Amino acid sequence: MEFGLTEEQIMFRDTVYRFAKNEIVDLCEEADLKSEFSFELWKKLGEMGLLGLPFPEELGGSGADVTTCCVAAEALGHAGIDQGHLLALGAHTYLGTDTIYKNGTDEQRKKYIPKLATGEWICCMGLTEPGSGSDAASMSTTAVKKGDKYILNGSKTFITNAPICNVCVVFATVDKKLGNAGISAFIVEKDFPGFSTGEPFHKMGVKASTTSEVFLDNCEVPEENLLGEIGHGFAYTHETLSWDRSALLAPFVGGLKFMLEEAAGYALEREQFGKPIAKFQAIQHKLADIKVTMEAAKMLVYRVAHDKDTEKPLNHMHLSTAKAFVGDWGLQAASEAIQVFGGYGYIHDYPVERMLRDAKLAQIGGGTSEIQRFIISRILGFM
Amino acid sequence: MNYDLNEEQVMIQENFQNFCAKEIEPRAQDLDKASKEDAGIMMKENIKKLASIGYLGMLHDEAYGGSNNDLVSHVLASEEVAKACASSFLSAGASAGLFGMPMKLFGTEEQKQKYLPGIIKGDLIGCFGLTEPEAGSDAAAVKTTAVKKGDKWVLNGSKTFITNATICDVAIIFAYNDKDAGPGGGVTCFIVDRDTPGFVVGKPFDKMGFRGSPTAEIFLEDCEVPESNVLGEVGKGFIQAMQTLEYGRIGMATVSLGIASACLSYANAYSKERKTFGKFINRYQEISFKLADMFIMTDAARLLILQAAWAKESGQADSAILASCAKLFTSEHAVKCANMAVQVFGGYGYISEYPVERLYRDAKLGDIGEGTSEIQRVLIAKDVLNNAAS
Repeated sequence: MEFGLTEEQIMFRDTVYRFAKNEIVDLCEEADLKSEFSFELWKKLGEMGLLGLPFPEELGGSGADVTTCCVAAEALGHAGIDQGHLLALGAHTYLGTDTIYKNGTDEQRKKYIPKLATGEWICCMGLTEPGSGSDAASMSTTAVKKGDKYILNGSKTFITNAPICNVCVVFATVDKKLGNAGISAFIVEKDFPGFSTGEPFHKMGVKASTTSEVFLDNCEVPEENLLGEIGHGFAYTHETLSWDRSALLAPFVGGLKFMLEEAAGYALEREQFGKPIAKFQAIQHKLADIKVTMEAAKMLVYRVAHDKDTEKPLNHMHLSTAKAFVGDWGLQAASEAIQVFGGYGYIHDYPVERMLRDAKLAQIGGGTSEIQRFIISRILGFM
Repeated sequence: MNYDLNEEQVMIQENFQNFCAKEIEPRAQDLDKASKEDAGIMMKENIKKLASIGYLGMLHDEAYGGSNNDLVSHVLASEEVAKACASSFLSAGASAGLFGMPMKLFGTEEQKQKYLPGIIKGDLIGCFGLTEPEAGSDAAAVKTTAVKKGDKWVLNGSKTFITNATICDVAIIFAYNDKDAGPGGGVTCFIVDRDTPGFVVGKPFDKMGFRGSPTAEIFLEDCEVPESNVLGEVGKGFIQAMQTLEYGRIGMATVSLGIASACLSYANAYSKERKTFGKFINRYQEISFKLADMFIMTDAARLLILQAAWAKESGQADSAILASCAKLFTSEHAVKCANMAVQVFGGYGYISEYPVERLYRDAKLGDIGEGTSEIQRVLIAKDVLNNAAS
């Protein structure tokens, strides 16, 4: 066992942190306030190479391992980058683009990955439907082969990046009767006939990320855009789980570090009854609890990364524990951070206000806390 | 980063799992219910048993019969011991750890030769006398005095909440030799044999939990200790105590982990046997989600403890704070786990015949022993604020 980062990882972490503090953090507040995705911020992330970390260099990436991807994501969160943009990054790089990379043909990779790795194009992943959330096998979007095309019909919802996407990895069933075994994946470009996206949703948090429905209305997808094999789509979504529970949770670990530092800094400055509130044990208590939550969340998230780096089979206990912990304990910690700020914590001018709204998503997105407990308890049932 | 255990660690974990399930766990209920006298005898036997698979020597050098294992291995073994019987963990830990560790760190060769082999074999039982009626977390407030008289030191005062006091053969006693030395100074650590005149052990306390592990007061009444029994340097006792307690904190976190882990395992098994309304109760989310919560809590706690052990072993600058984080999280969540486990058992959980009733009482010590949760929060917050100010 060894829980330290390598020197290289530490250098990289510090570089990303400084870049985020100096170049992009100032763009976040306004983006969150206006619920607007910042293309300027996105472009800078792309120029820093942060949108294509895990892909090979010849495809425009930098061949980073999962741990290093988490280090970058955590550093961005630690610098105070809003979880909206970080969710956009996560959905783009780790859910959408990596699914194309992992399962695509050489041709598909060459066509899509370089544009996506630099952020020139934006990717999203279309799995969830109005009637099919955690129960993905019940999806009703269909794909029917017609000549050299697949015709897709149905709709997807809660799709992160959909309103700004160039490419969407759409999951559809070729035969509902087959359940999971009928689910197949398609690379759908936004100007394929019959593809459209809805108005962006107004969300509680992660406001700078854009989320909407995706409509497939006799959408024509050339057969060469079938991703992987027919009927294997469910397995592909499964593979994204380990990204979802590592590189997509790491920003929240960074967010906890950010909140802790902000709250501690404020507690040292703010005086009541003639002394800094940091002198009151009730405030110290909250800081200690946030710190402990951050340490535990970090350990759980990086374990998923280590599992993936060492190519272990998916460990659902590890995945679900990380997700549920970051969601539930993380939200509690964010609430404590607000409490340290008192009235100011409730005001948008202070970044902790949005951290609480953002933290709520971690309990829901990518599988609710309840589903995580369901999975854990089902496995316990066999133990 | 590497979360994998090495082969040796996996082996140690399995060995302890098997051994404790066979030798320690079956006695845990009886030990808890035994009279104080019988408990003392049973505990001595348990310590011998644990010594027989090398548990008490894990952190000690081979020269004294130890196996010099790493801290992570020790945590893995300790979790199994604590899971089987928290009381046995506590008494073994007080002897080999709280007594043995300062001996290892600060003892002379002669002192080590005299005591460590016996401790490691389980022939000798040690204890650690720091806490006093008015000096708990505020250890610098100890009042016991040590006065030099010729080539001897004369100790006077009293110690309380001393694990193993009634079954000990030897104790480490902290006493002031210089009240004017200022904060952190003037305290010296002494090795005191049980049969030293003036070393008096009180009656064992009647405790809520950990009833198998005896706890009592120690009175020092003009207790004369030879100069050669000074442990470490005169005046450095307080620092030595703090260094020892850093291990103790990881230890206390680990016992809480063992308790939480036992709670999960009993509750999970019961939920698959017990039926209500025609279904096994683990089919109800009210029950199965409690089990999931217990799993999440123990899993996170274990990682925090392993991180703290790794940090201590590899000399990370923040190892003391990570130990506090691990201890705070684990002890408080073990109490929650124990509460959930009793709830899963329903009425049966409230009956002493079932082990979760014992675990519920045992769990509470984690919040208190080796520095209360409140003290851990003070220490952690101080560190957070220092970092924010710099």
